[in-house]
Amino acid sequence: MSVLPLDAADDVSTEPVPPTQRRRGLPAALRRPGPVLALGWLLLVVLLSFAAPLWRPYDVNDQDLAHRLAGPSGAHWLGTDPLGRDLLSRIFTAGAQPLLSAALTVAVAFGIGIPLALIAAERGRRIEQIISRTTEILLALPSTIILLAVIGVIGVKTYLVMAVLGVLISAAVYRVMLGVAQSVRQRLYIDAARVNGLGSLRVNVVHVLPAMATVIAVQAAQLFGIAILINAGLAFLGFGPSEPQPSWGTMIQDGSGHVYDAPWLLVPTGVVLALTVVAANVVADALAGRGPRQRSAARRSATSAPVRVVDGTPADPRNVLEVRGLTVSVDGGSALVSDVSFAVQPGRVLGLVGESGCGKTMTARSLLGLLPDGVSVSGGEILWQGRDLVGLSEKQANAVRGREIAMISQEPMVALDPMFSIAYQLIQPIRRFRDVGRGEAEEIAGRLLRQVGIVDADRVLKSYPHQLSGGMAQRVAIALALTGQPELLVADEPTTALDVTVQAEILSLLRALVRDTGLSVVIVSHDLGVVADICDDVVVMYAGQVVESGRTAPVLDDAAHPYTMALLGANPHVPDGEPMPTRLASIPGTVPAPGSWPTGCRFAGRCQFTQDRCTVPFPALPAHEDGSVLCVRVHEIHDAGVSWHAEPVGAETVVGVDHALSTGSTAASLPTQTSGVSS
Amino acid sequence: MLAYLARRLALAMVTILAAVLISFLLVHATDGSPGAIVLGAGATPAEIAAKNAELGWDRPLVTQFFDYLGHLVRGDLGTSLIDSRSIGQDLATRLPVTGFIALFATLLSGIVGVVLGVTAAVRGGRFGTFITTSSGVALSLPAFWVGILLVYVLSIQLGWLPATGYVPFADSPIDWAKSLALPVLALTVGGAAIVARTANAGMRDALQAEHIRTLRALGTPAWRIRYVHALRSTSVPVISVLGIQFIVLFGGSVIVENLFALPGLGQASQAAVSAHDFPALIGVVIVATVVVVVTNLLLDLVVAALDPKVRTA
Repeated sequence: MSVLPLDAADDVSTEPVPPTQRRRGLPAALRRPGPVLALGWLLLVVLLSFAAPLWRPYDVNDQDLAHRLAGPSGAHWLGTDPLGRDLLSRIFTAGAQPLLSAALTVAVAFGIGIPLALIAAERGRRIEQIISRTTEILLALPSTIILLAVIGVIGVKTYLVMAVLGVLISAAVYRVMLGVAQSVRQRLYIDAARVNGLGSLRVNVVHVLPAMATVIAVQAAQLFGIAILINAGLAFLGFGPSEPQPSWGTMIQDGSGHVYDAPWLLVPTGVVLALTVVAANVVADALAGRGPRQRSAARRSATSAPVRVVDGTPADPRNVLEVRGLTVSVDGGSALVSDVSFAVQPGRVLGLVGESGCGKTMTARSLLGLLPDGVSVSGGEILWQGRDLVGLSEKQANAVRGREIAMISQEPMVALDPMFSIAYQLIQPIRRFRDVGRGEAEEIAGRLLRQVGIVDADRVLKSYPHQLSGGMAQRVAIALALTGQPELLVADEPTTALDVTVQAEILSLLRALVRDTGLSVVIVSHDLGVVADICDDVVVMYAGQVVESGRTAPVLDDAAHPYTMALLGANPHVPDGEPMPTRLASIPGTVPAPGSWPTGCRFAGRCQFTQDRCTVPFPALPAHEDGSVLCVRVHEIHDAGVSWHAEPVGAETVVGVDHALSTGSTAASLPTQTSGVSS
Repeated sequence: MLAYLARRLALAMVTILAAVLISFLLVHATDGSPGAIVLGAGATPAEIAAKNAELGWDRPLVTQFFDYLGHLVRGDLGTSLIDSRSIGQDLATRLPVTGFIALFATLLSGIVGVVLGVTAAVRGGRFGTFITTSSGVALSLPAFWVGILLVYVLSIQLGWLPATGYVPFADSPIDWAKSLALPVLALTVGGAAIVARTANAGMRDALQAEHIRTLRALGTPAWRIRYVHALRSTSVPVISVLGIQFIVLFGGSVIVENLFALPGLGQASQAAVSAHDFPALIGVVIVATVVVVVTNLLLDLVVAALDPKVRTA
């Protein structure tokens, strides 16, 4: 009998639906044609099976000897068996037993597995170890053979045997449930419930179990299908209800005996059995969010690409990179970045700053053509050494990536392939980019590692990513970016995930590289300290557009846009000799989401200087020599000499994490992006 | 790494011991009476009691258990209650039949499943949906039903393969392969579907991983990203599932051996169950457990070889 492995363990979301999100009626996951049909079929089989004595056209043992082994007919809709008995009546009379006994198996498996998992998750490591080791042994036993041995000893007692199967499977249930229970317990509201003095049983019943509901439902549906298969398999082997009692397994066994003269006999029973198991699995898949689904943005057709407006004037030869009017949008949806322009000169460092969700990362990624699926450049130009990078084929873009423009990302620990050694990961692109042999590539790899400040390069080359510290991994990632000797390095929050001391080292490394190799850098950061430290030019972004740009020193010393002022006010870097503020400042409110940007100034909703005319569109003004500022009141604010009043974060915001998130106050150091696609 | 292996080895030993204990207790704790089985229905209670004493079943349970263990470590699984043949020798001739069916079915499932799952993940679109949907159906089909359908199509209609029967390898390697083809195919339908799902999910996850973006940012060719990097990380879950599949198919061979009349372990266990042949039952459980345990150990080694995090731990 084919026992399916409980593969749900791996891909069921361990983020169960919080109780508040659940709704009455059919769960959203099941409101699609496939799952609805599957549920309908299961319901139909259950109804027809349990009510079989009430509706079946013939008694299970009525023999129509004139029509033995008949195909479907008006008298026998599904045909007859070798004794001329009606298949339709027999199939559904046989149905109650597998359905009930499979339900019993599921009940026993969960009745043991779930309490064990809850106890193990609650009682700490020692208890968990004991239970887990024991279930590991149970898992490693050949359950089919043991089940047969049980039958060999106690005889064919179907319900008892199926209960034993439940015991054997409970180990697998425990393993899945333990993972879920542990992750549920780690969540905040469980702690809150415990602090509030709820008893252990109540915490489990009221909080932990409901959060596990989805996973339990998935597992139950899947196990139900498995149990039905096993039940039928046992009957097929002759360890089920005996004649004249009908059962699915024996009816298929009958069919196998008549495969030469009456193959139809196999069809009705097999189809009902298979459909029932398929239905159980379809329900499980739908609940787990697996299986076929409409993929909205997967296909990108050439016809749907919007017409891109192109300036056409050649790029300024002094700029290595010129971004003009760049607009990045969700395909067929709202813009994430709108009309962004900036330029990078050779050997200079440009910073893109702003809060999370302002489009910095999308802007940076579009430079390499590495936007996420379903997001693309819908307007503007990216002129790289005078050549427009927008609309390049994948092959043309690959020729630029690494060789001319390289990238280092936010999370050094996940930027390297965990399955390959550092040596392999460096040597492979070196050989491709520099057309050298293995030995020479290895030498270059060592040289690159030393160039990024790694002393024991030989040891690091032999290492795997998980053996490196964050700072070391970021140095390796930088070395990797240098393998193609690029002229521009795009660095997306290169120091955010690192310790403060390591941050400084990485920044000075980048500075040294710029000085020594003439590299240009576009650095994305939410940290004005980083910008002040390393950038020659700065572009301040807010809600997908550039609000202020120019040379770093004038922008930071004499900020013209209220948003830049607000960022500076919220900057936690304390100048030498000044006392540490007792409270950190914040910018009230949140960045408006793409699609809900106001028509006028997008910052107006959070600005201290907002007036009526801020809500009408206006052009950017020149500022800071060759920079710009996008504020209609810039001159008044400047002339009046007013400055942004930094609002300290309230005391309650520091204590209640949830509150801080819901009100969206931006704590002094702007929230770091963790998802990488957030801005 | 060594500590890890030592722990797995210890677990393996404990599992085997647990299997011996469980099957031993199962047989002895119930009112099983070997004497009644040996002598058949006509025997008097006195005759049965005498036979039980002769077989040593009247001794204390602990004595019997250690006696059994003592024989077991010398490779002696006892004799059958039905025909007094040596259970060890009998199972030794049957093990290769079941072993090859399970092995071939696992390998074929692996090849077909990986090709379908990976192609579905890379190509996506309608083809991907078709593969995920049909593998969802295929893994739900009962192997015995699939087996009969295959017999109908491949033997009866097309006449390509023998419907039932077993030809030993020594007699004719080609006929041997033919006699295993249908059972292997019957088990492969569901097995390949499960592998295809795992490979598909693994590949899709792998292609979304952050380090894949690093590779793309370096202009790495698509084939290298897919078939070197993403496939390598997909290999770990796929190998694990293949190990589980081998174990499942090994147990599942009871059904196909019945269907195709193959003299394997499954057939032996079915016979032992029907005849209440207790020593044979225990023997089958132990042999099957050893196979499972050894498979799991090999699996650990393969995963360790594939995954540097395990290897260097």
